[in-house]
Amino acid sequence: GGGRPLPGGADGAALPLQRARSQNIVPCTVSQLLAAEQVDETFRIRDVEISQVTIMGIIRHAEKAPTNILYKVDDMTAAPMDVRQWVDTDEAGGENIVVPPGTYVKVAGHLRSFQNKKSLVAFKIMPLENMNEFTTHILEIVNAHMILRKNLMAASRAPQSFTSGGIGDMGGYGGGSLPVNGLTAHQSQVLNLIKNCPVPEGMSLQELKLQLHNVSMSTIKQAVEFLSSEGHIYSTVDDDHYKSTDAE
Amino acid sequence: QIHPTGKLFVLSDGEGKHATVELSEPLDEEISGVLEVVGRVTNQATIMCVSYVQFREDKTPFDLELYNEALKIIHEFPEYFPFG
Repeated sequence: GGGRPLPGGADGAALPLQRARSQNIVPCTVSQLLAAEQVDETFRIRDVEISQVTIMGIIRHAEKAPTNILYKVDDMTAAPMDVRQWVDTDEAGGENIVVPPGTYVKVAGHLRSFQNKKSLVAFKIMPLENMNEFTTHILEIVNAHMILRKNLMAASRAPQSFTSGGIGDMGGYGGGSLPVNGLTAHQSQVLNLIKNCPVPEGMSLQELKLQLHNVSMSTIKQAVEFLSSEGHIYSTVDDDHYKSTDAE
Repeated sequence: QIHPTGKLFVLSDGEGKHATVELSEPLDEEISGVLEVVGRVTNQATIMCVSYVQFREDKTPFDLELYNEALKIIHEFPEYFPFG
């Protein structure tokens, strides 16, 4: 015998929404969403691009209309945010139960802006059964935004070091407008990370390994030794910590 | 614990410190367990309650100490967790 036929077309695997870029789903505070800047179709929170987000808060108000339910969700970081959930008019019951005010929920949805007013279009609203998820959510917000921002900063520097240093080649490309600093890609990456470390005792080898996960420790150590002998960096509290000589 | 008039109760936070919460209307229900109170701090260092909600603990107890630690962390990173 066979399995049940897939509903809908022969394809069966089509997503209801197609997005040109793949997105992370980023946990946010309402205050972050309200502060997000919009350029054309893109939203950015401190330069980090966002589209699908999760928020967690308490429902202050719920209004049922024929085609959608409008909630006001409050996470105490700003005024309650409008969250709209479209209702499938073909489906009876199930999806269309209104979550009562006073309930803590996790909302997953897309950020929208209309006439300068931000709102969310939710694809999932889940009442919290375990309030410890709230603790996790607030920590995830800090973690996600910090990591996304770090990745953004690292990515914007790495390509420059590739073009100026040449890939695995000392001396780089001749002439031109690119500064030739005689460093390999790895050495440049290590130097940039050390330069941008705000901590007084400098960047540790362990931290460099964490940031450059695809680079071996021996390569990192070699880069550090070279940079140190060339005078770009110096060791601080011990041989594992380094600071840049041309600090900002 | 709740005061006899029902207009006052004492909460203990994630560090074992106590806070007195005052209400404008006496309580009309039994409350127990973990509460989240939204209110204003008075100059007697009590909280004038605007609203409160009881946390669901029917399935899993809420770890208040852990929540307290999380709060400390988010306050260290206002750039990643802005308040209003």
